[in-house]
Amino acid sequence: MKCDEINAWLDALLSEINEIEVTRKSERRVRVDVPASSLPALLELLKGKASYVHLSAISCVDWPGDEEFELVYHCWSYEAKSLLSAHTRIPRNSAEEFAHYVSVYDIYKPAAFFERDIYEMFGVYFESSPYMEKFILTEWNGPPPMRKDFDAEAYVNDTFNWADYHPQWLQDIEEEGGGIAIRPEDIRL
Amino acid sequence: MSKIGNIPVNAQNGKKRTNPLAGVFDELVQFCQSRSMFMLHYCTGCGAIELPPAMTSRFDMERLGIQPMVTPRQADILLITGYVSVKTLKRVILTYEQMQSPKYVIGICSCTVNGGMYWQSYATAKVLNEYLPVDVYIAGCMPRPEAVIEGLRRLMGNIENGKGIAWKDYFQRYDHYLGNQQHLFGNDWQTPTDIIGEARHYGLETEQTCGEHSRILEQHQQPLEPYKMRIKL
Repeated sequence: MKCDEINAWLDALLSEINEIEVTRKSERRVRVDVPASSLPALLELLKGKASYVHLSAISCVDWPGDEEFELVYHCWSYEAKSLLSAHTRIPRNSAEEFAHYVSVYDIYKPAAFFERDIYEMFGVYFESSPYMEKFILTEWNGPPPMRKDFDAEAYVNDTFNWADYHPQWLQDIEEEGGGIAIRPEDIRL
Repeated sequence: MSKIGNIPVNAQNGKKRTNPLAGVFDELVQFCQSRSMFMLHYCTGCGAIELPPAMTSRFDMERLGIQPMVTPRQADILLITGYVSVKTLKRVILTYEQMQSPKYVIGICSCTVNGGMYWQSYATAKVLNEYLPVDVYIAGCMPRPEAVIEGLRRLMGNIENGKGIAWKDYFQRYDHYLGNQQHLFGNDWQTPTDIIGEARHYGLETEQTCGEHSRILEQHQQPLEPYKMRIKL
């Protein structure tokens, strides 16, 4: 089947789903905005009927102004050679500890990896995801650090000390003729 | 095996044995020490990319007598080549404590000096010499192999002049270092190495070796147990 044939067929397929908004950005790039309730159905269709067998990534965007998280599922089709990104928005639940969403592990197995990462970085809990333990930040006990309301600079200033601006070892190097070649005040930006 | 008690390491006969010729040989020993060093292959950040050219034919670290070594127990120099995340810092400290004295730490790149370009990052330790005694800093992002060689030559000079004694500071002011480590890792932080015992053994214990932080360590310390050997048939 040719690439443009798949595309035409895909557009027809997508128009079947309720409340869906399809933006075809180019021949090989589709953006789909879908309500959170019908996203698993969409992915099921894409994988089963439209050859989008590869979930490359799930990314999460924090929109604190809208009190929402945006989840983007990037699906790739080897036959149509096109990338489809399915955008959905879920409530941010800043009053409660975690936002909740449903896992797509049963459709795409690699989702477990991405969901565990998003849970750690944004605190979005994915129901029925197989393993939601700590992943990269095993030593971290604070809030999910990639949320916009986490102030990394304030945390750093509270937690860490800073080195002296002109420490003794640098003075020793300067006495021997080395040291900073261009001083910060001499840099022209 | 369990009937054999602890084997006494130090013969406690009240006298401290000293070698009357130690002072005479010191300079010779320091000279030899500075010209035969083994550098641990432990690379933390991006600065590690400058080490292969520094080690191999172009800049050739081996002409200074510095060779890479694969285990911490047989190495003298610990190179920290870049940013140290809090997670890595734990491993760095474990590695450092396994090394045999005398041991030297070199902080390469701006990140080890003051966080560098990761100054705003929640996950990166900022000032390396709060957690480990650092002998030489080589600033730069990243320093060229010339600068690395220059730093290593400075370390060699320090050892030759008897100034490369930062490792003693770890035993003498252990409470200070331990306090900074506990601040990051929590109060139940402990390493398998008994630093206070070693400090006593080497005669390096001062009043700053033990303190409020080592008392916290004692409260939380789990006794180490030998790893059980199991043979599956």
